[in-house]
Amino acid sequence: MKKDLLKTGGICPLSRRSFLKSAAAAGILSSLPAGILQAAEWERTHYEGDYETFRNACPRNCYDTCSIKSYVKDGVLRFVEGAKESTFTGGALCVKGFSYPRRVYSPDRIKYPMKQIGRGTGNWKRISWDEALTEISNKILEIKKKDGSLLGMALDKYSGNFGITHYGVEGMMSSLGYTTRFVGTPCWPAGIDAQNFDMGNMWCNDPEDIVKAKYIIIWGGNPAWNSVHSMKFVYEAQERGAKVVVIDPIMTQTAAKADLYIRIKTSEDGSLALGMARHILDKKLYSKEFTTKHSKGFDEFAAYLKKNVTVEWAAEKSGVPANVIRQIAEEFASASPATIWAGYGLQRHTNGGVNVRAIDAVVAMTGNIGIEGGGARYGHLHTWGFNYNAMVQKQPEGSVGYLGKDKIKSEFHGPEGEAQAAYSDRTININKIAESILTTNEPPIRLLWVACKNPFGQDFDRNKLKKAFDKLEMVVTVDQFFNETVQNSDIVLPCTTLFEEYTVNVSYWHYWIGLNEKAIPEQYEAKSDLQIAAMLSKKMNELEAGSCTFPQITDTKVWMEKEFNDGIHKLFGIESWEDLKNGPRKAQLPSSASWNEMKFGTPSGKYEFSSDLAAEYGHTKLPEYKAPRKAYDKFRVLTPHTQFALHSQFNNIDIMRDFNPEPFVYINPAAAAAKGIKDGETVKVVNKTGSVTLKARVTDIVAEDVLVLYEAWFGGKTDFNIQELVDDESSDMGTFKTGAPGVALHDQFAGIEKA
Amino acid sequence: MKKQLAFLVNSKKCIGCYSCAMACKNQYHQEKGVVWRKLKPLEAKDYPHRDRAFYSLACNHCATPICVEVCPVGAHVKREKDGIVVHSSDKCIYCRQCIEACPYGAPADNVELQRAEKCSMCVERIDAGLLPACVQGCPAKAITLIELTEEKLPDYVKQYPVGFDKFEELNPSTRFVEAVKPKLVLNKKDL
Repeated sequence: MKKDLLKTGGICPLSRRSFLKSAAAAGILSSLPAGILQAAEWERTHYEGDYETFRNACPRNCYDTCSIKSYVKDGVLRFVEGAKESTFTGGALCVKGFSYPRRVYSPDRIKYPMKQIGRGTGNWKRISWDEALTEISNKILEIKKKDGSLLGMALDKYSGNFGITHYGVEGMMSSLGYTTRFVGTPCWPAGIDAQNFDMGNMWCNDPEDIVKAKYIIIWGGNPAWNSVHSMKFVYEAQERGAKVVVIDPIMTQTAAKADLYIRIKTSEDGSLALGMARHILDKKLYSKEFTTKHSKGFDEFAAYLKKNVTVEWAAEKSGVPANVIRQIAEEFASASPATIWAGYGLQRHTNGGVNVRAIDAVVAMTGNIGIEGGGARYGHLHTWGFNYNAMVQKQPEGSVGYLGKDKIKSEFHGPEGEAQAAYSDRTININKIAESILTTNEPPIRLLWVACKNPFGQDFDRNKLKKAFDKLEMVVTVDQFFNETVQNSDIVLPCTTLFEEYTVNVSYWHYWIGLNEKAIPEQYEAKSDLQIAAMLSKKMNELEAGSCTFPQITDTKVWMEKEFNDGIHKLFGIESWEDLKNGPRKAQLPSSASWNEMKFGTPSGKYEFSSDLAAEYGHTKLPEYKAPRKAYDKFRVLTPHTQFALHSQFNNIDIMRDFNPEPFVYINPAAAAAKGIKDGETVKVVNKTGSVTLKARVTDIVAEDVLVLYEAWFGGKTDFNIQELVDDESSDMGTFKTGAPGVALHDQFAGIEKA
Repeated sequence: MKKQLAFLVNSKKCIGCYSCAMACKNQYHQEKGVVWRKLKPLEAKDYPHRDRAFYSLACNHCATPICVEVCPVGAHVKREKDGIVVHSSDKCIYCRQCIEACPYGAPADNVELQRAEKCSMCVERIDAGLLPACVQGCPAKAITLIELTEEKLPDYVKQYPVGFDKFEELNPSTRFVEAVKPKLVLNKKDL
């Protein structure tokens, strides 16, 4: 009898969807209210077959930028998977990627444009798109009239969506006039500048070629959580005999997979790298060919090492015993190819840029730059050569702007617009938003537009930020969820998820390109950033003809098509974007190694151990030791990424709580005992910036005077936010390539007590 | 020996990323709180570093499944052709017997829908020639699907690894590779 039952194997009983299916068959679906296909589409499902499939690409600020295949039935996103065509994504996604269907159909999504009667009151009122756009447009026109320019309108946007067409938000601003722009990047600019000074660009090997490495150092990065797809290549290298060393102040999940884990003192990466370099020099294990033929300033670097660095000094500074420094230096120099993956955490310090330069120097002097399986891996923008058509928009005729020479810089693309206009936008360091809003006058910032960013979730010194927002006359935020920035806004505009628009995505790590198709209709009244710009343009021109130049095109597919050019086609070996419907494509490169022709982008055309350009930007020519930021409290506070969130996205998705129910502060057993803190007890972490109250988790993954709290905004009923503990201290580098230095996110300190 | 499909959970490769657990929810849309596949962090006695080694666990598709034995309505059925223990929740009368009987805690108590439910190894995907969602969804290739045969598995592949309870009468089909520890060089103080 049992055998008969076996044939069915049905996992799921009749659902509301089955009702919808029969409704569709009966032809009554179109007469149902629209909401029924949207409000509760997260309902039980199982694998049925016969899906309509679409190509999507995860647009989050992440190494892996996954190519996604989406399975749709009855206009509803049923499930997603990693694209098998990509050898990088390899059919798998991360915990965040697999939560996407819930994110799309989350009951917490912002469904309509809304207006808050009294900022911060929570008294939200649904308004129509027309009402919202009319109110915003009138404010823009009022500012222009009052100030004679639109510099009182500012844009705060960064990495919430890296889809190429999302630079249309910048385009929208330009199409209105000369405005105020927050420029720079919080995340990685110190390392970008470091690699530019050393090599003339940030250009890493294909991450898939790490399988060829014989020795791998993962330094200040945690790919096991933040680049999950890279781990299979690290494993393959290990299986082929490579040794994997992880250097990090935290025993990360990546460290647990290493052959050797070295717990370094935070921000002392420079001393360790220089100590390794000194030993390599003494043992004559450096590459004579590379240092003589392909580099500039090696003799000066060697002289600096001999005069200022010893292995014992490096051991004292870094906390890594001298014998271990010698061992890893010799092993690294003797293995070929050997590679270092320099993570982004390592450069979020007041000496982060110069520390990356010291690490680059170890890779370079051992002849590991320009070879497959080698390299100082940090990131690349080799595949980002799109048209930025949506971004490049002309100001309306007669626009008045800033009379300085500000040029908007971004790591992803060249300066916006080539025009030698007399006027320009007013630029302000993105990492000093609070301070800038408070101190900028003539004209003050009156209207702030926030898109692809959650400043209250991610920015620094939040108490100051609150004061800054209080100075603003109007705040408009485009988002999907009622986060803390939305709470501090007047108008919120609902935006689409990646499944509801067309765009195209590439990575700053791997070399694949992924098409992002519109798989399902826009949910509720959500619109994409581009559609919002087009609708705003329409309204502006209705109210005052000629006041906005943004094309009133609302089909995101048209915008996506305009981003492609011959360079992109050639690089990826495609005739047109339509080829990407068959799956993601990888750039066709002559070698998996960056700098394989040994032609560097520096002024000398060589690898520059000594960089005049670095000196021009106020740094030492050589990667000289720079002491870390002085501690201002008893414990160091590290706030790295968790696997469950990408900055302030995903932590708030309810089903993520099944696996990540609440935030913790991680503390060493010795420190916990000294403070009388028991595992699971509620504690208060306090510093000069603010405080957070949460439970302690006692663990040996950190040193005795280090506290770890994973970022970021948690959402739901908790008001936990680690940015309460982070000030806006700058990192050393970033100005050269991104227009502003980064943030010394990991140079923070605090005290901890039982709550 | 009858054909038996099984999960091979490689804890040496597992990075605790929870992709497998969410891949399951992506496929079946279980309600919040209803989890078929979870990660079990190894306890301090079994692995010295907290939250740094895991077993990804779901139904073990036992050779002698207790759920099949106790279910009064035949909602749990062990398939002849591949040994998958399939649960049909539309037959479930919510008597909770399987939930109480399974020592591995595989059947989940769905309070909202008032029924028991569990991993059926993505039987519909398997029948369509696909891998289970968790297996395909693991970016580290730490869960694979294997077929248990008369042939002996290598010694490092274990049925009862450290930290996994031994219930021999059930003869769970899941196999494991144990986590390894890195060599450590630790400084005590950061500042």
